[in-house]
Amino acid sequence: MRKLAVAGAVPASEAPARHSLADRHDLWLMGALAAILTLGLVMVASASIALADRQTGQPLYYLWRQLGYTGAGVLLMALTTRIPLARWRAHGPLLLFASVVLLGLVLVPGVGREVNGSYRWIPLGPINMQPSELAKLFMILFLAGYLVRRGHEVRARFSGFAKPMALLVGISGLLLMEPDYGATAVLFATTLGMLFLGGVPLVLFLGWVAAGLGVMVAMVLLAPYRLQRLTTFMDPWVDPFNTGFQLTQALIAVGRGQWLGVGLGGSVQKLFYLPEAHTDFLVAVLAEELGLLGVSVVVGLFAFVVLRAFQLARQAEDREDPFAAYVGYGIGLSLALQALVNVGVNLGALPTKGLTLPLMSYGGSSMLVNCLAAGLLLRLAHEQRLGGAR
Amino acid sequence: MRPDPAFVAYPGRRLFVLAVLSLLTLALLGRALGLVLVDGEFLLTQGDARALRTVAVPTHRGMILDRNGEPLAASTAVESVWVNPKELVTARERWAELARALGMSAKHLEQLLSGRLNREFVYLRRHLEPGRAEQVKDLGIAGVYLQREYRRYYPTGEVTGHVVGFTDVDDVGQEGIELAYDHWLRGTAGAKRVIRDGRGRIVEDVESIKAPQPGRDLYLSIDRRLQYLAYRELKAAVKEHRARGGSVVMLDARTGEVLAMVNQPAYNPNNTADRVGARFRNRAVTDVFEPGSTVKPFTVAAGLEAGTIRPDTIIDTSPGTLKVGRLTVRDVHNCGVVDVGGVIRKSSNVGATKIALSMPAQALWRVFHGVGFGQPTGGDFPGEVFGILTDPKRWGEVHRATLSYGYGLNVTALQLARSYLAFASDGFLPPVTVLRRDGVDRGQPVLSAPSVRHVRRMLESVADEGGTGTKARAVGYRVGGKTGTAKKTADGHYASNRYLALFSGLAPVSAPRLVMVATIDEPSGDAYYGGQVAAPVFGRIVGEALRILGVPPDDTGAVPQRLALHSDALAARTPPAGGGL
Repeated sequence: MRKLAVAGAVPASEAPARHSLADRHDLWLMGALAAILTLGLVMVASASIALADRQTGQPLYYLWRQLGYTGAGVLLMALTTRIPLARWRAHGPLLLFASVVLLGLVLVPGVGREVNGSYRWIPLGPINMQPSELAKLFMILFLAGYLVRRGHEVRARFSGFAKPMALLVGISGLLLMEPDYGATAVLFATTLGMLFLGGVPLVLFLGWVAAGLGVMVAMVLLAPYRLQRLTTFMDPWVDPFNTGFQLTQALIAVGRGQWLGVGLGGSVQKLFYLPEAHTDFLVAVLAEELGLLGVSVVVGLFAFVVLRAFQLARQAEDREDPFAAYVGYGIGLSLALQALVNVGVNLGALPTKGLTLPLMSYGGSSMLVNCLAAGLLLRLAHEQRLGGAR
Repeated sequence: MRPDPAFVAYPGRRLFVLAVLSLLTLALLGRALGLVLVDGEFLLTQGDARALRTVAVPTHRGMILDRNGEPLAASTAVESVWVNPKELVTARERWAELARALGMSAKHLEQLLSGRLNREFVYLRRHLEPGRAEQVKDLGIAGVYLQREYRRYYPTGEVTGHVVGFTDVDDVGQEGIELAYDHWLRGTAGAKRVIRDGRGRIVEDVESIKAPQPGRDLYLSIDRRLQYLAYRELKAAVKEHRARGGSVVMLDARTGEVLAMVNQPAYNPNNTADRVGARFRNRAVTDVFEPGSTVKPFTVAAGLEAGTIRPDTIIDTSPGTLKVGRLTVRDVHNCGVVDVGGVIRKSSNVGATKIALSMPAQALWRVFHGVGFGQPTGGDFPGEVFGILTDPKRWGEVHRATLSYGYGLNVTALQLARSYLAFASDGFLPPVTVLRRDGVDRGQPVLSAPSVRHVRRMLESVADEGGTGTKARAVGYRVGGKTGTAKKTADGHYASNRYLALFSGLAPVSAPRLVMVATIDEPSGDAYYGGQVAAPVFGRIVGEALRILGVPPDDTGAVPQRLALHSDALAARTPPAGGGL
């Protein structure tokens, strides 16, 4: 990692005047993101074809829509690379406030749209907006700014830790009312991770982690369906046609895929056996069609992006740009956790919850927000390359 | 940008976080590996259990064809619409639409499904034409499925209904040939392994387990042209005489093959509502009757065989009555003194009785039994009965007397037709068959050739002037036969006004090709004698049948005006184009 960092820093400092693409931008990161997006589109097309045909009569219905989201996302990503990161720092509180308002709105009857018993979407014309996606990203931006502004307080005093935690609990409360357990878990873990990296005293931190876990356990115990989901995932074969249905179908998909998969387009599980094949359970279809090899490639791509984010964050630390560093850590953590949880759910290693695979699963809000996050990473890389010149 | 002077980096914590993430990633990859390596077999089995199915590959029944290869029964592919009520309830609002497409009322659909909502398979409509079934499927209503089946179609409908029979909705033979040769006609469904999607539709054929074995075709001895001719003439006669019913059986005189077999009332096997026992019963083989005067030629033949009479033996039938024990045998008219041929020609009961009483019971029995009365015919007809001919040891004088003119035994139309084969073939009696026969089975000799020739000459005289069967004549052909007018029983007694009119005969006399029986049951007009009611049916059918078969006329010396008259009548019935049968 040290080696990579030097290699990345060299061209920026030696030839600041040159403006070739490779000098200004992280082509490796771009390549990885492009690969993830492309693979995502291919898999969404494959996984949704039968469902789309049945629902709309157009087999490529979901592909065209996802292509639109991805196109818009890539534009957003390009735009983001032109905006200095510092600009986000200034607007962090406002953005977070806006997303909290939206989280509140989604719970207002008549505004939020109910799908499968959860109020997670606000219908906006042709697309549905998912405020929880925005909240996750803007929490990261706000927190990065907060850690810079209140660095002393965070490291030295209880209040520095308690204030963001109070905010987190508030937002989590809104998320749980939807309910969106998966987003809550990712948001919680990301926030704690950022505070941990921001220097919260360990004693305080561990105490809060314990408290947080306690809250989660309480939530599970209060709402029996969560408990059911928890127990189901441990042995879905106990009740494979009811509570364990989705998971057993996902596991069968993985089992059918074996090492190299049954071939692109050859999945049987996507043919009305596995619900949500093109959204939350895209990885299962990918595992069936492209096998363990395909899953490894996806995990590898995400691992590369996450490691790159941490590397860029460390380089930002080196050039004493803590806001950029925290943004890098936050986005890296958030991407890593979402990917881990999603793949974990698909493999039956975690309880089933509605969480998409970032940049791959079908869905407009998720695609746009994650592209925005990826754009921030690309901007971070760009600023690292410009760093010497500043 | 203002660097935060108080900024502190935590490389240790960063490493810790990265380590945790890496461990989680490795754990997940391990989990994936485990699923494939450890649970792979189990998961594949579970997947196959859900998606792999063995399904039947339906196949069609063999065709039933007439002797010239014209189809009498064929299978066409149809679709049956079935539903999974558990799925269908999710689309409750579209039931009305579905009912409309199926051509049933919404209320009827509700009734079909009420109480069956917990099932997973309910037929809504069997045997829909593929085009309409496709329309139903295109509605895209969840839980509605199609199943390929084969439906029997009978192109000749009513004309061959009794012989061919029909199958039930599951394509299993129920009547007629369809039942008798079900094992031959029936196909054996194949089996294949398929992959089904989560909605039960087949998305891929994996392998064929067993190839379907279509049913075999079956050629009947029936000639569709003759069958239609017989059907048309019988129907017209039954209508004309306002009769209860009737039968016509036409056999090939040389082979015993059934060329035509029709009954009235008839039914259309294509119409399931028409399938009621009274209509679909093949009366020619299921209904017995006392054959009356039509057995007199056998009485005469028995006498000739026994040597108690000769063709020129003179018999005095005056005064038209004869007392035998407590029985008084009566003739319709006093026939006076006649030769043996006169007994046949004028149908004298007294004469027949005298001949029968001239020989031992055993001699009479040997001929009646020999020509197949009370015996199986050899044809495979479902529900066929073989009539009754009692043991001669118990025959008293009265019984022998009544037997001589056709009472005290009963036969089917097919049995009566078969017995006349003996007169057509110099005394041989081949088994009858409804299947096309390659090669000739002459059967057993039952009468001697000289006796047969004598009787055949007498049969021909029946159609001569002064005989009872003049109306049996056919243009251009010499015909021979015997009329019969049998009293029917009701409540154990002979009814005074219910008759069965009969004619049994053969043609052409010079070299018989056809043997035919026509019966008209309870003609209700003024005419009820066999010679008035049944003989014309025989004449019309036989004459045209021989022309259809291309048999050269043997009656070239026919009276010209009679020929002309008949030609006019024929022309009036035949379309100008000369087409048709």
